[in-house]
Amino acid sequence: MTTTADSLIPATDITDNTSVAVSIDGKNILICKANGDYYAVDNQCTHQRAELTGGRIRNCYLACPLHGVRFDLRTGMPKGELTRVALKTYPVSVAEDGNLHLELD
Amino acid sequence: MSELIKVKQQGEERCEGVSYQDLLNDETIEVPAYLREDNNPYMGNEDISVDRWISRDFHDKEKEKLWPKVWQMTCREEDIPEVGDHHIYEIVDQSIIVTRTGENEFKGFINSCLHRGRILRDCDGHAEEFVCPFHGATWDINGNFKGIPCKWDFNHLDEKDMSLPQVQIGTWGGFIFINFDENCIPLDDYLSPLPDHFSRFPLHDYYKGAHVQRVVQCNWKVGAEAFMESFHTLETHSEILTFTGDANSQYDTFGDHVSRSVTPMGIASPHMPEVTEAETMRDILELSGRMATDSAEGHEMPEGLTARTYVAETNREMFSEIIGESLDHATKSELEDAILYMLFPNTQVWTGYHGNIVYRFLPNGDDHSSCIFETMILMRYPKGTKRPDPAEKNILRPDQAFSEAPEIGGLGPVFDQDDSNMAAVQKGMIASRKGAVSLASYQESRIRHLHQTIDKYLNA
Repeated sequence: MTTTADSLIPATDITDNTSVAVSIDGKNILICKANGDYYAVDNQCTHQRAELTGGRIRNCYLACPLHGVRFDLRTGMPKGELTRVALKTYPVSVAEDGNLHLELD
Repeated sequence: MSELIKVKQQGEERCEGVSYQDLLNDETIEVPAYLREDNNPYMGNEDISVDRWISRDFHDKEKEKLWPKVWQMTCREEDIPEVGDHHIYEIVDQSIIVTRTGENEFKGFINSCLHRGRILRDCDGHAEEFVCPFHGATWDINGNFKGIPCKWDFNHLDEKDMSLPQVQIGTWGGFIFINFDENCIPLDDYLSPLPDHFSRFPLHDYYKGAHVQRVVQCNWKVGAEAFMESFHTLETHSEILTFTGDANSQYDTFGDHVSRSVTPMGIASPHMPEVTEAETMRDILELSGRMATDSAEGHEMPEGLTARTYVAETNREMFSEIIGESLDHATKSELEDAILYMLFPNTQVWTGYHGNIVYRFLPNGDDHSSCIFETMILMRYPKGTKRPDPAEKNILRPDQAFSEAPEIGGLGPVFDQDDSNMAAVQKGMIASRKGAVSLASYQESRIRHLHQTIDKYLNA
């Protein structure tokens, strides 16, 4: 059974190529908007565990501010040699009330 | 009575029939000076050894004497739009972090940590500072050393210059160039007369509409040379002969670093004298992939108008709509001909008001037998509107055809035709018993010019 969470963040708060970190159920999650769509990932780089907050987003890729590892927001898959471990992703959608709605498990 | 017979100087032989300069005489609009240049000094016609393309030894000479000394194109300014954005430029075994450090300022850093040498950045991206992923040595984006963990263990660094070594850097046409040589000539001198010839085409204000890259199994020069003459049109791109003046092409060299080919379009090849104006018009629209429209439907040629004029005027109207500017001053030639410049050693750029093709050929790392072929298409955007973001680079797998890259449209199948020769040339050169190539005196003179300039660097 999936746990859902209302982020209480209005979808309109996040503009394209920006992100917002939220704490839900003890998890630190980064909600991103890229190419018009919303994505949610663990807010921790799988390379050296740096926070991804403020990481550059371009064309569906989120780059870690520390060493620049890029993750595909759609799948969590990293590019390059620094890490092979994918970022955990969470389904996110816009609820009727206009807030962003996450599915945690 | 004896007749005076004009004795042709060696190297002055040209195709029979109309020349490019003859076509320029038909222009009703003033022809700019750069098109009137007709510059092809005779360079001899000796055979050239295949070693220059196939030997490891020649590649090593280029590694030592050519790549460390030339201005080379790394990327477009638009690829690194924000301060802190950087692109990793790799050439043979070297690596440079090309970084935007200010609104209109760029620096190129040697991509090597001054602690234990690890590359500082693994891939393109954005950084507020460069932190080495090994032990955390840190530099700001201007290359100033900020520190290393356990500074107490590194007091000996205090007497060293710990700023990141830089290369020379400069820009033209929206491209960023670097040179490893501190004593190199200024970029402007190296480029001359390219900026002047491109004064009608402000490439810095075009955006990259497509960027496709793929490895090709041939030496970088084999790849580059496949695009440096129109002579191959007859056999490799025969379907375009109905609208391509291949053998009427003009070939020019300008100093050591620049050469040009002008292939008139909208006229049938001298190899195909039976083609009608209507056929030329239909085929250029449907097959060239470069005209303002790619369909001949609805286009009826008025009596007495040549295909060349009709298509140029159609392009004039449609291109000016696309770019939001009048093109009344543009000659027919500039609106439809294939005018292609080479900037030594490995970058080629087309002139044009929209859809300018760019080629670059890089050695594939330290491999003398393969290269990285890249093509970009630079586009205009309507004046006063927001500049579109540049296209992401599409890296094709080695087994993929260029026609699998939809963003290059009709050019894909044409590149596939060229691709069918490039690796085969490399193979054949290796198998050759003759051990040398014999170039056409005029139509392949730019290839000879490329090698002449390479030798200037290798023998310096």
